[in-house]
This record gives sequence, C-alpha cells and structure tokens, in this order.
Amino acid sequence: MAALVETKPRAIDIGALVEPDRVHRSLYTDPAIFDLEMQRIWGRAWIFIGHESQVAEPGQYYSTMIGRQSVLLTRDADRRVHVLFNRCAHKGAQLVGDRCGKAKELRCAYHGWRFDLDGGLLGIPLEQGYDGTRFDRTSPEANLAPVPRVASYRGFVFASLSADGPDLQNWLGGVASSIDNMVDRAPEHELEIAGGVMRYEHDCNWKFFIENLNDMMHPMVVHQSSSLTARLIAKKELDPAAPTPAAIEIISPFTESYAFFDEMGLHCFDNGHSYSGGKTSIHAKYSDIPEYNALMEKAYGKERFAEIMSVNRHNTVFYPSATIKGAIQTMRVVKPVAVDRTVIESWTFRLKGAPEELLRRSILYCNLINSSANLVGPDDQESYRRQQVGLETQGLDWIAMHRDFGRDEDLGGGHTYAKGSSDLSFRNQWRAWKRYMIEGAR
Amino acid sequence: MSAELALHHRVSQFLFREARLLDERRFEEWNALYLDDGEYWAPATPGQTDPFNHVSLIYENQLLRKVRIARFSSPVAYSLQPFPRTAHLVSNVMIDRHDPATGDIKVNSRFLMIEYRRDEQRFYGGAYEHDLVEKDGALRIRRKKADLVNCEGPLQSSRVYF
Ligand SMILES: [Fe+2]
Repeated sequence: MAALVETKPRAIDIGALVEPDRVHRSLYTDPAIFDLEMQRIWGRAWIFIGHESQVAEPGQYYSTMIGRQSVLLTRDADRRVHVLFNRCAHKGAQLVGDRCGKAKELRCAYHGWRFDLDGGLLGIPLEQGYDGTRFDRTSPEANLAPVPRVASYRGFVFASLSADGPDLQNWLGGVASSIDNMVDRAPEHELEIAGGVMRYEHDCNWKFFIENLNDMMHPMVVHQSSSLTARLIAKKELDPAAPTPAAIEIISPFTESYAFFDEMGLHCFDNGHSYSGGKTSIHAKYSDIPEYNALMEKAYGKERFAEIMSVNRHNTVFYPSATIKGAIQTMRVVKPVAVDRTVIESWTFRLKGAPEELLRRSILYCNLINSSANLVGPDDQESYRRQQVGLETQGLDWIAMHRDFGRDEDLGGGHTYAKGSSDLSFRNQWRAWKRYMIEGAR
Repeated sequence: MSAELALHHRVSQFLFREARLLDERRFEEWNALYLDDGEYWAPATPGQTDPFNHVSLIYENQLLRKVRIARFSSPVAYSLQPFPRTAHLVSNVMIDRHDPATGDIKVNSRFLMIEYRRDEQRFYGGAYEHDLVEKDGALRIRRKKADLVNCEGPLQSSRVYF
C-alpha cells in the first residue's frame, strides 16, 4: 500500500554547490542544507561551550547548545570541568531548565533521579524496584552521557559531538594565538567572564553573521550612518582640546577608509578560521589607560608588554561557533536555531589584575556595537536579513567571492594572507564548509 | 490631598507627553526634556543596579542621544528604512518619592510599546522609572530607565527608544 505522502530524502550534490570562488544561494536558504549542517559541521567541529570562569566553583553549571543538542557545562567537587548532555538518563527529560546555577546535585524534575555534577548517578527513588532486572546501576548508561570530546584552551572550553577528529589545539591552529593574546593582556595571565550577556536574535542564516566578521568591505557602507554621524556630532558638540570620549573612540573607526581596512589584512587558516588586523585594527587608537600600562609592565617587563600590545587584531573567527576581539576583550557566540534564525550572544571578559576601567570599556563597546537596540548591530542585521530575503529570490543562483581570487599569499602550514578587502575569508570558510559536509557524509 | 493629586496629574501628563514625542518622532523636543547630564538607560538584565559593570541594551548620555537622533534622518541608515512606527502606552503611574526641597521626584510606571516596521508588529513592555527634577516650574529628566520584561532576550533588532 502506498503511503499518503512519499518521503524520499532529496539527494543534494553538495560538491556542486560550492566552487572555490562562488557558492550557490540555496546554501543559505534550504532547510535540508541546514539539517545537514547540524549533523556534519555542528555535529563534528569543536564548538565553543563556555569559559571556565562561568563555572568557577564546584557545583556550578551552565546550560547551552551544540547546534540542536542541549548540553551542560559543569564543575564537579574535584574542580574538574565536564560537558554533559542535558537530559536525564531515565526517561530523557531535560535535566537543567535554567541557564546557570549552583547545586550539590542535579535532580530530575520528573521522577527525581539524582546525579552528581560529573554526571554520575547518585540515587533513584524506590531503587529496589530495579533489582533483578536488566537495568544496571553501574553501567555508564545509568549516568548522564558526556559529550564525546571536551577540551579547554587557556580557559576556553570547546566540545565536539564526534568521537574522532583533530585535537583542539591542532584544530585551532593559527587562531589559538588570538586567545593567547587576549589572555596575555591580563596582568595575572587569566580571564574571567564578567558583565553579563546580551542575546540577540537574528532572523537570518548563521553563516551571514560568521562571514560578515571579516568582511572588510562592509563597515564604511553599513555603518556610515552611525559612525559618520558620531564623528560629525562629536566635532560639533565637543571641545577639541578635551579628551575624546571612549564612545566616540569606539564608533568612529567603523568609517575608516578602504585603505585602512586593506592595511589591516586578513589571515586565514584551515578549518575555516581567520582573523583580520594584526599590527593594527579599528581598536588600535583607543586612549591609553596609564594605570593598566604600569601594572602590565610590572607583570611582564617593558619589552614583553610592548610585544603583547603590538598585536592588535579585529575579529578572530573560530569557525563555526565563536568569535573574539582580543584587543577589547569581547566574545560573540553563534547559536543556529533554524535555516533563517540564529541567536548571537555577546560576552565580555575581565582581565584579571587590570583596573576595572578595562572591563567598563569592553562593556561600553558591547553596548554600542553588539546590542540589539543600538546603532551598529541592527545595521549589520539589516544587511543579513536583506541577504536572506534576496537569496530566496530567484534571478541569479551564484554568489560571487571573486575579489582578489588567486592573489592570496601562501604563508605555509595552511596559513594564507591577503589584504583586508579580499574575499579570502569567505572562500576559506566555504572550503572548510565543503570539506565538513562531504567528509561528514561518509 | 489636592496638592498630591495635582502633582500626580502633572507628572502623568509629563510622562504621556514624553511618550507622545517619541511616537510623533519629535526627537529633538524629546531630548530637550532631559537635563544636560540626563541619562537614558535600558538594562540588559532584571534588577541590574548599574550601567557600568554590566552590559545594557542602551545606556546613553546627551552626546549619544544626539548621535542616535541625528542618525534617524540619515539617508543611509538602512535599518531605518522603513522607519519604525510606534505607540507608547504609559500607565500605572505612581510617585514613589517627592522631595519638595530639592524638586526630586521618582516615578514608577508600566509601559507598552507597539512597534510596526516592514510587515511586522512587535511588542515591548515593562517598567519605567523616571528620576525627574522640578526646576523653575518645569519638569526635566535626570534619568529614564526602561526595564523590559524580556530584557535578557533573545531580542530582535530595535532602533528607537522604548
Ligand atoms: Fe558590521
């Protein structure tokens, strides 16, 4: 008897949709592609989970997502960090319902099974009912399931749903140095999440956000209305002899020239990672904080301090799930929800041992640039939304990534360099995307 | 009692006028309601006690309000095309504190902002806290705080003042 609706999986020829210098529009709009991405990219890559300082004390937990998988970051009584699937080992109810907290044990809201923060089963009500049955209390299946792979790089916890693949540090490759530089900026060589989180819902595909980060051809167009206006108002309203307010220092560089963004440069690495800036960036001209400089010199010595501060990067992308700005100590985390829905979280870091003024500047940056209610973020979001709608519209099937194609500089070890205005970072992300999607099919 | 009623009436009318100026896009007049060091604040977490050590959806002084307002008329502010249309409803107005000596008045109220832009209608609601000061017979804003009930989000783009 024939089924009422025939549900034959549609065969998609992934390889034919991604060319080295152009991609097919359906990759941003097709729900079937999104489903495959959740399995083959978000189900295999190292995904950013959280920072160890979010679970600084034993008993603390933080709930988040790896693609569609609800997971928990926990710290057990022995101070070890775990990433566990957030579902009871009994009937599968989501175990932790709030975002974060602290508890001696995790108790399921349904039948009261109790678990340790390391995932181990602690107790079952009326446990003798299982005596002599196939249920084995000592089996790993009685515990909360751990996510297959978990690793931390200098406090940044990543996890992978796949049991095999490169280790975290190898996978990070050349972008690990961006984490190093952010951590090195702390006089006590340590970071701490502080200042809360902003959660911004984007009505678009996750890849628009992650591609935009090192798109150096957009700021002077997209942010002209806010950055140029800020420059004009500052000129009109402020005493030129007085120090420039930090807010103006933050917004103004978004309308630097094409030459400035070219000069920043683009560094791309295997697995889709990249950073822009290096010697200079839009964060390079912030006013000095003398008290901080003194503390850093004391901690590192003059020479090493100068070396740390000479690294000034714009966005570093840990493809596909996160991006940091070491020079202003902020991080954004990508949470894909549906083919046309993504939540972006913005976090800020305290540099341990630094004056509070630095955290306050990071917070100010986040408010001005990353907030859903401010001037800069909504203009970016408008561009992504227009792309989402535009690419659902037929007319042309291919998206060009030709700018400076073939003119990349190969620096060896999977490291390529191009001037800032190059499309290199898009091509590099799509190269990784294609590899994940094809290898993941095997 | 009548002095109390009169004050309540005056304060309520001030809040309604403030909301109306936003809805009628008379942003310069709206900004003129603030003291020179007046602040607009929309926290990003419930019970947030300060705007410096925690992120905020909006925390603006006079200078930043002037930037936002000037941007409203920029021909290249693409996220404002079309410009959102709003209706701010203010209610449950209660005067929490009044110091006749200094002219300081603390007002608590509830608000609902209906926003329409490009085929979509959205609702934002929560509590307002107005720190007002009476100077030379006129009310001015020292600080307006808009506590959205869903301030932790996830929130979609918004461009105007709650
Ligand atoms: Fe942007």
